[in-house]
Amino acid sequence: MRVHDRLTHALETGLVRPATQGETESIPVAEHLHALFAGRGLVRGRIVWCAGDAAMSLGLQVVARATQEGSWLAVIGLDDLGLQAAFEHGVALDRTVVVGPTHTSKEWITAVGAAVEGFAVVLLGVPRGVTGSDAQRLATRIQARRAVAVCVDSSRTATVASVFSPDVVLRTATTEWHGIEHGAGHVRCRDLAVEVSGRRVARSTRHVLRHVG
Amino acid sequence: MEPTVTRVAVVACPDWPAQAAVIERGLTSASLAVVSAQRIVARTSSAARDGVEVGMRVRQAQALAPDLVIEPAAEQRDRIVFEPLVRAVCEIAPLVEVTRPGMVLIATRGPSRYFGGDRALAERLHELVANASTQGVHFGVGVADGRLAATVAAHHAAATGSPVVVESTMTRRLLAELDVAVLAEHAGVDLQTVSLLHRLGLRRLGDLVGLREPVLVARFGPLGAQVHRLARGLDRHPPVVIAPPPQHATMHRSEDPIEDVGIVVNLARAVAGDLVAHLHSHATQCVRIHVSLTTDHGETSERLWYQPEGLSAAAIVERVRWQMESFVSSRIPTAGVVAIRLDPVGLEPLSGRQLGLWGGRSQADEDAERTISTLTAALGQQAVRVPLWRGGRDPSEVFELTPAALVDFEHRRDGVTPTNTWSGALPSPSPSIVFDDARDVTVCDAHDRLVSVSGRHELSARPHHVVVGERRYLVRSWAGPWPVEERWWDGLRRRRIVRMQLVLDDDRGAQTAVVVILDNGRWGIAARYG
Repeated sequence: MRVHDRLTHALETGLVRPATQGETESIPVAEHLHALFAGRGLVRGRIVWCAGDAAMSLGLQVVARATQEGSWLAVIGLDDLGLQAAFEHGVALDRTVVVGPTHTSKEWITAVGAAVEGFAVVLLGVPRGVTGSDAQRLATRIQARRAVAVCVDSSRTATVASVFSPDVVLRTATTEWHGIEHGAGHVRCRDLAVEVSGRRVARSTRHVLRHVG
Repeated sequence: MEPTVTRVAVVACPDWPAQAAVIERGLTSASLAVVSAQRIVARTSSAARDGVEVGMRVRQAQALAPDLVIEPAAEQRDRIVFEPLVRAVCEIAPLVEVTRPGMVLIATRGPSRYFGGDRALAERLHELVANASTQGVHFGVGVADGRLAATVAAHHAAATGSPVVVESTMTRRLLAELDVAVLAEHAGVDLQTVSLLHRLGLRRLGDLVGLREPVLVARFGPLGAQVHRLARGLDRHPPVVIAPPPQHATMHRSEDPIEDVGIVVNLARAVAGDLVAHLHSHATQCVRIHVSLTTDHGETSERLWYQPEGLSAAAIVERVRWQMESFVSSRIPTAGVVAIRLDPVGLEPLSGRQLGLWGGRSQADEDAERTISTLTAALGQQAVRVPLWRGGRDPSEVFELTPAALVDFEHRRDGVTPTNTWSGALPSPSPSIVFDDARDVTVCDAHDRLVSVSGRHELSARPHHVVVGERRYLVRSWAGPWPVEERWWDGLRRRRIVRMQLVLDDDRGAQTAVVVILDNGRWGIAARYG
C-alpha cells in the first residue's frame, strides 16, 4: 500500500511519466477513431465488437494503427477478408497472420486461444456454434493474456454478439455513399453512423464518420 | 590523430543459446540447434561438425544431422544460465559490461595491474569461469586493444582452449590480417555488405584501413565510416563528442526500501522512459549504460550494459531486471533497494532504428513467431498463412496467402509492398469483403429484364434492381461497366469479364456497395464494401 502511495505521489509530482504506463495499458487507434474509444485506444484484455454493414472495414481501421506501431495481428475466421482493403486501411501486412479456414467452432476456439498468447491484437469472425461458456472462457483468456479482440460481425441477420458480452460495441450503418453516380465515378467514401455501446461504455453515443472504404 | 583505444578482456561463449539449451536440458554433448523463425540461430559444436550452420533453414539442417535436437530460442533461458559466469567475472572486476548473454567485457587496466599483467589476468579469468561452469561451458578469454580485437581473440581462445592475449603493438597487425567476414560475425555488420566488400576485392580488414575513409563513405554511406572505424580497431560508432545533455544520469530514490523485484523494475521503467525521452530530445541515444542499485544498508550492485544498436527504454528495463534478479539471488543485499541510478556512459547520435531488447528484432516479433509455430502445429501449415503481394486486377488475387512456416520473417517487409499498380484493377478504396466464388445475383432493368453488356461494353439498359435469392434490392447508383480481359494470349485460360460497382438500397434504409461481375452471361457478387 505504501509503495502504491509513493507511486501515486511520484505520478503527481511528475517524477514518473504516466505515458509509459499508458503504453502498457492500451494500444493506440488512429486519431479519427478517438471519439469512439473516448480517446483511450484499445484497452488491453478487452473485446470490441464491430457490427453492421461497415463492420469489416471499421474493424480493419480499428486495428491498423496498432500493427503500424509494432503489434502483431492474427485474423481468425474471416475467410472473406479483402487483403487489398486491409493494406489500404493501413494494416501492416508484414505483421499480419491469417488463420483459417477453421472447419469447426472447436478448431476456431483452439486457434483464438493459441493466438492471444503471442499476438497483441486478434481480428475475429465468430463462427456459429460457439456457446456462451466457450465465449466466457475465451474472454477470460483474452483478459489474462492482455490481448485485444476485435470481432467483426458482417452478418445481415441477428448477431451472435449475445454469446460474448463485448466491452465496446460499434454498430455501423451506411447512410450515404459518395463518388458514384448513375454510370459514372466510383465509390470513394461514405457517411457512416456509428453507435457506441457495450458493457464498458457508460452511456451509448452516436457518431457520424466520413469513412473511406 | 588516432583516438585511443581501451584495452579490454572479453569472455565469450560461442553459440551461447545452444550451450544454454544443452545445460538447461541437462544433455551431454548433444547435437542441438536453437531456432527462431525456422532458421538456425545457434548450434552446438557437434552439430557444427555435421555441417549445421547459423542461418540455415531447419529442414536443411535436419537433412544434414538427422538426430539434431531443435530448441526454440528463449532469451530468458540464455540469461539465467549465463548469470553464474557473469558473477564469476564480477569477482575480479568491479564493473562488468554484459554485451549480451554469452559475452562479458571488462576494462583490463585496474585488474591487470593487480594480477601482474594481462597474461595473469586472462589466466585468472579463465580459471574463474571454468570453475563457475559446472557443466563444462565452451568459452574463451581474449585480451586486446578494443572490442573487436578482443572478441576475435576470445573466440580464437574458445577454439584452442587457452586464453589469448594480443599485445598492444600486435593488435593492429592482427586486425589487418583478418577476413572482413569478422565484421558480420562479431560486429553486427550485415552479410550483404561483407559479401560486397569481398566482391570489391577488399578481403581483409587491412585492405579497408588502406583506403581513406571518404572513399568508403562515398561507396557505402554512413556504414562505410563504421566499417572503417571497426577495421582500425575502434568501436563501430564514434562516441558523441558534444557535451552530454544536462542531467543525463537519472536517479530514482525511494524512502521506503523496496524488496520486490517487480516494483523495482516498474520504477526503473519510469526512470528509463524519462532518460530515453530526454536523450531523444537531444537527438542522442545510449549504447552503453551504467546501472547501479543501492540498498538501504549501502550494498550496491553495479553493472555496465552495452548494445551497439542503441538501448531503448524497454531494453534498459530488461537489463535492470536481470541485474536486480542477480543481485537478489547473490544474497548480498540485507535490505530493500532505495536508489536506482541509470547513467548513460556511451552516447551516440540517434539512428532512429526500432530495435528489440537484444538488438535486431522486437519482443513482439519473437512472441508472434513462437505463436505462429504453435498455431501451425495445431492447425496445419495450410491454415496459418501470411499475405504476399502478387499484383493483379482481381481484388482477391492482389495479395496471396502463403504458409507462414515457409516465409522468411527477416525480410518480410519486401514481400508486402506493392511494386507497381495494375491498369484495369478496381479503383481504390478496395472492397473489404471478397468472395472466393461470386454469389449468384440477377441484375435487372426497370422492366424486370436481365441487364446485358454489349461487345463494346455498353449496358443494354440502366440497372434498376437486383435479385439475390428471394430478396430484391433497388439500385441507387452504379459505376462501370469496366471490362477485364485476362490472358488474352492464352486461348484456354482466357477470361473476359465485366465488372460494375452497384450501390443498393438496403431493406433497412442503409446503403450497401457491392462489386458485381458478368462472366459468361451470368451475374455474380464478387465483393462487398463491408
